[in-house]
Amino acid sequence: MGSYLSNPVGKVIVVGGGIGGIQCALDLADTGFYVYLIEKSHTLGGTMARLDKTFPTNDCSTCMFSPKLVQVAGHANIEILPLSRILELNGGPGRFTARVEKQPRYIDEEKCITCGKCAEKCPKKIPDPFNGELGTRKAAFLTFPQAVPLKYALDAENCLYLTKGKCGVCEKICPAEAVEFDQKPEILQIDAGAVIISTGFELALTAQEGEFGYGRYRNVVTSLQYERMLSATGPYGGHLRRPSDEEVPRKVAWIQCVMSRDPARNRPFCSSVCCMHAAKQAVLTRSHEPDTETTIYFMDIRAHGKGFDDYIDRARFQHGVKYRRSMISQVYLNPENENLIIETFDHHLNRKKEEEYDLIVLSSGFKPSGDFIDLAKQLGLVVNSYGFLATEFDEPVATSRPGVFVCGGIEAPKDIPETVIQAGAAAAEASILLSAARNTEIVFDEIPDEKPIETTPRVGVLVCHCGTNIAGVVDIQKVLDYVKTLPHVIFATDFMFTCSTETQQTIVKLIKEQRLNRVVVAACSPRTHEPLFQDTLREAGLNPYLFELASIRDQCSWVHGNDPEKATEKSKELIRASVSRAVQLEPLYESSYRVVNKGLVIGGGVAGMTAALTIADQGFHVHLVEKSDQLGGFARNLKFTLEGNSPASLIRYLSERVTHHPKISVYLKSRLISHAGHLGAFNGTVEKQGESIKIQYGAVIAATGGQPYKPTEYLYAQDERILTQVEFAKRLMEDPSWTGRLKRIVMIQCVGSREPDFPYCSRVCCSAAVKNSIKLKEMNPGAQIVVLYRDVRTFGFKELYYLKTRQKGVLFFRYIPEDKPEVYDENGKLIVDFTDRSSHQNFRVEPDLVVLSSGIRPDDGAKQIARLLKLPTTDEGFFLEAHVKLKPVEFATSGVFLAGLAHSPRFIEETVTMAKSAGQQAMAPFINEEGVSQIPPSACMGCGICASECPAKAISLKHCTDDQVFAKIDALLE
Amino acid sequence: MRLSFYPGCSLEGMANDYARSIDAVFRNLGIDLVEIEDWSCCGATAAHSLSQTMSVLLPARNLAAAEKLGHDIVSPCANCFNRLRFSQNMIKKKVFDIPWPVTGDIRVHDMTRFLAEPARIKSIKERILRPLNGLRVVCYYGCQMVRPPKITGYTDYENPQTMDRIAATAGAQVIDWSYKATCCGASVGIARKEIGESLTRRILQKAQQAGAEAIVVSCPLCQSNLDMIQKDRSKRHTPVFYFTELLRLSFAEHVDPKWFKMHFTDPVPLLRAKGLLS
Amino acid sequence: MQNIISDPDQARKHDSGKERKLIGDRGDYFLNRMEGETGANISACYQCERCTNSCPVSHFMDIKPHQVIHYVQLGWREELLKSSTIWICLSCEMCTTYCPNEVDVAEIINHLRNMAAHSSITPKEKSLAVFHQTFLEVLQKSGRVNEFRLMNAYYLKPDILHERIKNKALKEDLLLGITMLRKGRLKLFTPKSRAIKEIKRVYSQTRGEIV
Repeated sequence: MGSYLSNPVGKVIVVGGGIGGIQCALDLADTGFYVYLIEKSHTLGGTMARLDKTFPTNDCSTCMFSPKLVQVAGHANIEILPLSRILELNGGPGRFTARVEKQPRYIDEEKCITCGKCAEKCPKKIPDPFNGELGTRKAAFLTFPQAVPLKYALDAENCLYLTKGKCGVCEKICPAEAVEFDQKPEILQIDAGAVIISTGFELALTAQEGEFGYGRYRNVVTSLQYERMLSATGPYGGHLRRPSDEEVPRKVAWIQCVMSRDPARNRPFCSSVCCMHAAKQAVLTRSHEPDTETTIYFMDIRAHGKGFDDYIDRARFQHGVKYRRSMISQVYLNPENENLIIETFDHHLNRKKEEEYDLIVLSSGFKPSGDFIDLAKQLGLVVNSYGFLATEFDEPVATSRPGVFVCGGIEAPKDIPETVIQAGAAAAEASILLSAARNTEIVFDEIPDEKPIETTPRVGVLVCHCGTNIAGVVDIQKVLDYVKTLPHVIFATDFMFTCSTETQQTIVKLIKEQRLNRVVVAACSPRTHEPLFQDTLREAGLNPYLFELASIRDQCSWVHGNDPEKATEKSKELIRASVSRAVQLEPLYESSYRVVNKGLVIGGGVAGMTAALTIADQGFHVHLVEKSDQLGGFARNLKFTLEGNSPASLIRYLSERVTHHPKISVYLKSRLISHAGHLGAFNGTVEKQGESIKIQYGAVIAATGGQPYKPTEYLYAQDERILTQVEFAKRLMEDPSWTGRLKRIVMIQCVGSREPDFPYCSRVCCSAAVKNSIKLKEMNPGAQIVVLYRDVRTFGFKELYYLKTRQKGVLFFRYIPEDKPEVYDENGKLIVDFTDRSSHQNFRVEPDLVVLSSGIRPDDGAKQIARLLKLPTTDEGFFLEAHVKLKPVEFATSGVFLAGLAHSPRFIEETVTMAKSAGQQAMAPFINEEGVSQIPPSACMGCGICASECPAKAISLKHCTDDQVFAKIDALLE
Repeated sequence: MRLSFYPGCSLEGMANDYARSIDAVFRNLGIDLVEIEDWSCCGATAAHSLSQTMSVLLPARNLAAAEKLGHDIVSPCANCFNRLRFSQNMIKKKVFDIPWPVTGDIRVHDMTRFLAEPARIKSIKERILRPLNGLRVVCYYGCQMVRPPKITGYTDYENPQTMDRIAATAGAQVIDWSYKATCCGASVGIARKEIGESLTRRILQKAQQAGAEAIVVSCPLCQSNLDMIQKDRSKRHTPVFYFTELLRLSFAEHVDPKWFKMHFTDPVPLLRAKGLLS
Repeated sequence: MQNIISDPDQARKHDSGKERKLIGDRGDYFLNRMEGETGANISACYQCERCTNSCPVSHFMDIKPHQVIHYVQLGWREELLKSSTIWICLSCEMCTTYCPNEVDVAEIINHLRNMAAHSSITPKEKSLAVFHQTFLEVLQKSGRVNEFRLMNAYYLKPDILHERIKNKALKEDLLLGITMLRKGRLKLFTPKSRAIKEIKRVYSQTRGEIV
């Protein structure tokens, strides 16, 4: 094994082409490695490609995802292997050899021109698996319009020629002669230094289980089918319909925890994402069809992520989504209209209640895909009892086989941001392992030379439907007709999704054919999509700054959804303004400059230390600034984790390494007091005990951490019998005789969390209560423990510990925030009075001790850093990332990243993951072979002050000249 | 083929018509039913409710008798079937002192499942002389035959298929419905009439809503509840057949209307209308 | 935003004037006993109310099935044995079948019914308790249960007879009986099992389990 590592291969295999695999491939390819992206199906995309919109922004999933797909499809250092699987993996870390089998597509990828004639003429229709078997597709097909690779394929199981030797129409009709019925599976040998598993998950519910009539009643669908039903590219074209009669459903219900939290079906864990998934679907349903009632049946709402509770609140109070805390046993059919009946017990009326729904959505849990178990066997990976590649807390992406890493849904059920974060961490591990071989296998992208442009502006306008996001409101044809009349507009057309891979190729062709020298795209938002289109211009040999994006979605169709006519008018105006500006645009050229190959990490906690090591272990210098006199941060408070690990030994290990690492300079008792510059070339001042030290760095990671909330409620600090969970855990370990004497304790959850001032959930407190309860019961089985909670949020595999806690006899009672427990002293006796909302009983407990599950707050130091680095924060003071879904560790400001509790409350293992991910992304610009970047130079931040102040108008801000701005304003005012 | 037959008390009384139809059907199929010698009551819900010991011992006596013969047991009554299986389970746990030699290893079938096995379905199909064409039925299984699944072995406890398959083989048009295994109230109606009636009436109403002209059952108590609740109703009549009555009907060359005289809701007009009875 | 994920209806309607119950030590003892005797993992319950929603007769019960589990956890034996729930339960096994935590709710209720039958507590649902009792008496006499004899014996129980007369249900019962006899549904005589002696011996073996 050691010999492999001395001379590793600079290539990595990523298995699984969902968002996790794609992110991981991009992270690696951008840091000097060649990536094989192996995907078993016809296209990349995974589960995320099937989603309609994502919360909390209700952004169109396709629109967010498309730029990533385009990027991965066009990346010179990513080789996509669709229809492939690993048969065998030999070797060890640094040098693996994989035997890969690639199934035939029956259509030559090289020859196929994606004209779609084969699908059009194919006589064989089958239920479309991509749409959850709602609607049909042909046996010659393209999985979805943004598929990568964007090539048709024949479905071997259904193609008439391949199954029965009859038909062959596609072969006759294909203008490119791409159909090849005689293709055979290919075997490939691939070398790679590391392997990353990101095979994702699939729905655990199948018709065999027959849960809630799924597979028996047509109007019972899974949550994933419902995504397709809402989607513009789905079976009903983005209009809400139900399967049985394609009528608009007027009452829709969601049933939560289907195949989750269900030990009876050997699925005792929580699937983590379904609560938010259902809330989003209900909100979307209400906005599609405001007259449709939505009801969610649940037992605990698990809104444990950043901004989640806020979203649930909005769903309830703004969108009128009904929440019913009641679990359903069975769904009945009304045979007269195929409606579905749910029976619940009404406690107030003391009677059974039958409620009829037009459609029922089952929020199914997730499982590893059926063939994953084979892969795990072939690769020799150890899976947990439920088939997942669950990891350890200090190595959150490691598997049982060295050199093989894991990320995403196959590790444990998780949402998109957590997947993206973990993908970054897996990339970091592979990158560290193969550091010596960096840049040895990569190829360089060829960018065509820019052609000289004609002096007369020739503007092309591309109007995007954005599925139904724009086209559902704005009359595209009217807009097009109008746009064609504008001066200098040579050409105008529309696209379903202008950002898809296919469209980029069309745009390149259009630019060449029409000799366009200015391009205006009327679509979503420049914030997310401008770089994508600029790349396309570059590919067409046009200067990327001759581009303008008219935001007719974010600034028009989304805000004026209820007034299509005016929205259409506004779209015309916005495009007119953009065209006017485009006419004034001039080419801009970027110059190269030397990057400072050093990182700055602010905060010496677990996040900061891990991020610093991620960068330093790859050979780059890191300044680590910590305000206190020792490393460790928040985690120093913690004695043990739920899973039984020791944060103390992790801190010991990290601080040992950080302190002695030749590439890390640690500044204790220090603060960053000045910061200037830009990505790749920042400079700042560290104040260390009165002394000022000037430092230079190319990237910053803000890991300022968090602090425990000091309760003001429940007699805390007034009575010594009231402790926080952190204090309680410490005492448990330090004073066994005291622990042994405890007879009865009460734990109160959500202290200082989910309150009007701090409306977020602190994520870790439920697990803390569970953890400390188990510990106390182990040390003192006779102790009685009463936990007063609002929702138990032990998500993922932590649910197993909640079960264990109950089995140990810990009593759980639910209270509501309008009627909180009362803690008081009566003649020296500690008393807790509360009302249980499950049995509707008033209770009194006389405990020895009350333990408060107090929340996590951002560290005070975050404010100063936010001011200094001009970083946005949430209302609660946590840093606000660039994009909640796809850019969770980046700020909108280039070169600045975040990790750990400064982002939001999280577990140690999550912090470690996030810090690795942030470290990897931060050092990406350091990698370029000569240490040279292509980023606009100078310390200018584009603020424009100099330009506006200069009396001689001698200074101008390029790409934002007076002429350009005035042209835009004048056009708007026409 | 030979089986131990455990009729249960109802088949000697209230469900005597069930017993006669079983006899006819099994004779026709050439399967020998050997009544367990000197069988005794399974204890039903009463023993279960009042004494765990009795709920294990009473069925155990019959299991012991059957084990001596060695054939599988078939039980036509859902409650007896459930009690026998329950007792077997407890016997195997070996916590009860049982005065008869019994291992609990013998197989206990409910009659519907036994007859719904592919081989039996085939031989049923061969014997159909009078397919029940056009007769729209729902099959009603009740609780005890299917629940709890760990005792009964029904994995499709929400949507059991055994009777559906048999009735369909006999040519009936079987309608899927959601209330196949919803409780009819069992014997609660004797002491608390309003509880029993509310449950039974609901099932009847749901069956009619599903478009059923008749209900097919396998449990004497279910039959009597669903049948008797219609006794004084001038409204729509929905006869309640034992599944073996339908089989007997479809097997027979000559049908005697007297076969159905124990029914409160007379099925003869329906059968005449469908041309199944002249 | 309030950030309340509770049911506002519940907040409004709860009667906070109700007596306050003390959570004492008793819980574990009773819980352990029940878990030991039934083998049901009572403490795994997370109060999702699937049992109560699936129960066809929960509206006739004073303690709902999910509350039964909570009461057992709290050690409230007497409340449970005095409840109507234990007699109303039909043993239809819906609750057990649908419990995600494999809590055998039906068996727990049945066990409580067993306990109540052996205790001195007067059953809240007397007619149901007497019916089960009568069934076993008839069974003891003939080894099998003849429905005619069962109904006779049951209706002639002083409590039941009295209630039937009071409710003017007697005439209806008689008419029904006659119809059933005419239809052949009731048989006056059915074979007895020779098992009577053995069964009596079994009864005595239960050491006074049957009161």
